[in-house]
Amino acid sequence: MTGRTAICNARVIDPATGRDEKGGILIENGIIADVGAAIGKATIADVKIDAHGKTLAPGLIDLRVKTGEPGAENKETLETASEAAAAGGVTTFVVMPDTDPVIDSVALVDFIKRRADGVAKVKVHPTGGLTVNLDGQKMSELGLIQEAGAVFFTNGDKPVEDAGVLRRIMQYAASFNALVASRPDTPALSKNTVMNAGAFAARLGLRGTPLEAEWIALERDLMLAETTGARLLVDCLSTGRSLKAVERARKAGVKVSCSVAVYSLFFNELDVGDYLTYCKVQPPFRSEEDRAALIDGLKRGAIDAVVSAHDPQPPEDKRLPIAEAAFGAVGLETLLPALLSLVARDEVPLLAALKAVTSGPADLLGLPQGRLQKGAPADLVLFDPAAPWACDRDDLSSRSKNSPFDGRKLEGKVLRTWVNGATVFERG
Amino acid sequence: MTPHTSPFCHSPIRATLFTPPALPPRSACDMPPEITGDPSMADYAFPHRHLLGIEGLNRLDIETLLELGDKYVELNRQRVKHAGTLNGQTLVNLFFENSTRTQGSFEIAGRRLGADVVTMPIATSSVKKGETLIDTAMTLNAMRPDLLVIRHPSSGAVKLLSRKVDCAVINAGDGTHEHPTQALLDALTIRRRVGDIGGLKIAICGDILHSRVARSNVACLNILGAEVRLIAPRTLTPPGAADWGAKIFTDMRAGLKGCDVVMMLRLQQERMDGAYLPSAREYFHFWGLDEEKLSHAKPTAFVMHPGPMNRGVEIESGIADHKTRSLITEQVEMGVAVRMAVLETLAKNAPEIGLATGTATATATGTATGTTTGTTTGPGIGVKTR
Repeated sequence: MTGRTAICNARVIDPATGRDEKGGILIENGIIADVGAAIGKATIADVKIDAHGKTLAPGLIDLRVKTGEPGAENKETLETASEAAAAGGVTTFVVMPDTDPVIDSVALVDFIKRRADGVAKVKVHPTGGLTVNLDGQKMSELGLIQEAGAVFFTNGDKPVEDAGVLRRIMQYAASFNALVASRPDTPALSKNTVMNAGAFAARLGLRGTPLEAEWIALERDLMLAETTGARLLVDCLSTGRSLKAVERARKAGVKVSCSVAVYSLFFNELDVGDYLTYCKVQPPFRSEEDRAALIDGLKRGAIDAVVSAHDPQPPEDKRLPIAEAAFGAVGLETLLPALLSLVARDEVPLLAALKAVTSGPADLLGLPQGRLQKGAPADLVLFDPAAPWACDRDDLSSRSKNSPFDGRKLEGKVLRTWVNGATVFERG
Repeated sequence: MTPHTSPFCHSPIRATLFTPPALPPRSACDMPPEITGDPSMADYAFPHRHLLGIEGLNRLDIETLLELGDKYVELNRQRVKHAGTLNGQTLVNLFFENSTRTQGSFEIAGRRLGADVVTMPIATSSVKKGETLIDTAMTLNAMRPDLLVIRHPSSGAVKLLSRKVDCAVINAGDGTHEHPTQALLDALTIRRRVGDIGGLKIAICGDILHSRVARSNVACLNILGAEVRLIAPRTLTPPGAADWGAKIFTDMRAGLKGCDVVMMLRLQQERMDGAYLPSAREYFHFWGLDEEKLSHAKPTAFVMHPGPMNRGVEIESGIADHKTRSLITEQVEMGVAVRMAVLETLAKNAPEIGLATGTATATATGTATGTTTGTTTGPGIGVKTR
């Protein structure tokens, strides 16, 4: 976008620097030209936007999004996902490789990039499969795929079970300083389970996912990261003990970071309630103790990234008895409102909550956005942190409507979203 | 002994393997050079009975072999290439692993020195059981060979055999452990083409993890004072390699910067199946030696490869065949010379045979009486007296 745009009369929040002040932002050619209290009505600009005292922050960066493209466009396309993202204040998202075909080659990474350039309203970054076809055996062309633009490598929801394979992959990835993401899970323990193991699952008569399924895989991954020197992203940890393990490893010098799904911060196992299939996710909603431990970690800055874990599923895969229903929940549009609701309930400060969806993930991937700094891309979100609303799945922009927030009350609404200075969403 | 009936004299191997790109003009006559000096080397006596690895050798040991190798290079460039140092002695080549160039090189080296050469190719990987191996050794030992050249797919197998036999044992490659004659021939090649190895920057690139050549070369080049660099993906970098006395790199361009010599290693096909490396094309992209990557080394840098090469995987053909920068065929030529030096040196160190019956060979003391075609003063080529 050419010309100068001034957004003034806003509460400007930048988690990267801790900035929280009244003022505005000056945008020039899609880049942030100035930030601060000095930007007001007197600033010379071609376009002036009055924020009416609402909050202006860097656009969100979401490290875990699934779409159905390629292969299952009935669930979601890059285009519909980007509309949901824009409506949720997410200006950059990272797509998982577990599509059909799997994103495990230079050509497919290139396909995602070109496709997103053509149709997506927000910035989309591909990841590469750690193993070919996610088979857990044969290493993908990590070097070439990274050169082609994959921001990290992951086997998605199919963990690499063979420790020898993962060890070599991590060694090899360390040659390129590539980031390896792994969702800690032990299939032998989690196979055919539905929700968190415990008294509630037992009462419902559902098979529970034991905590050890996460702990065993996590400890293995941490050890391999330690001995190989690879950079590890622990993808979607869900228990307090897991977070402690990550912090201990980090303290010992292991190059480890971690992400948490926003639903793990918001819900506990009791929310599965009356066999709600929209609440069937991996990792499952855990105990209230675990949720509280994760909230505490977010406050302390121990969690590098909070993700939506957006996983669209059509009704035919969700309107089933819970044991047969698919895993997954959409989340792009509710990521920021869910965090703002936690802020409104005084569970976590605003800066800490926003950091994990802006500069935290940006620093992990080495992206220039995610901060309000001169020279950074003008990827911005304007929101009303106090606006209450009830989530109705039919109002979601996502092609699939499987949201665990459906029918729940949230506080905090996105008003407007900019990518490179251009408006991509504005609430009517 | 009728040397000219040697099967190698007119074999095609001779024409293809042993034709260096640019040979210096032959000396005026085709006779071997005049033999001077004392082959027992008054200055330094090589103290080892076997050559099992570079580990255990000192700088003098290596230089002694290289200097003798230098002499044999000259001999090998004559039309008549015989020295009678090993006349009447028996050299057995025992190869438990397929080999063309090393086996051929030892055969030719032995024959040029006048030994009776017997090659026993036992190229089956099933012969790995210790007992079978020792039985084989005992059987061979009873035939009273003087020199035993062994290649075996298991690390340490050659050492095990050396304890069971009375003759000199030469390691022609054991598993992923050592290949000392390759390191010696590489050192000879570098010394002759680049000069003193001390202070040279030498990069060894590729599958270090599975390479016995790399292990022997790091040891040898370190002893000779070079700055050695190892360049490989982490999956092919051995744990603890930083303690070998080499600098470790994963990036070719960074590792090759300012190098005088670039030694490429062969990448086994089975490493490219997704376990150690994702694919051959990715390997070539990041670690294959091409014009661009080589441009980061010194403009005068030489390229070496122990062979056999995977063209287009670890090395581009244009580099492998480069007229001035590639030393690859020259390495093969040096291989014969250095092996002659090793065979001669070890034969001299053999203990006196007390109950010799059929093998009443003199123990190669340098005053051996055997002569070869055209030789006038003695059987071996002595190292010049210092």
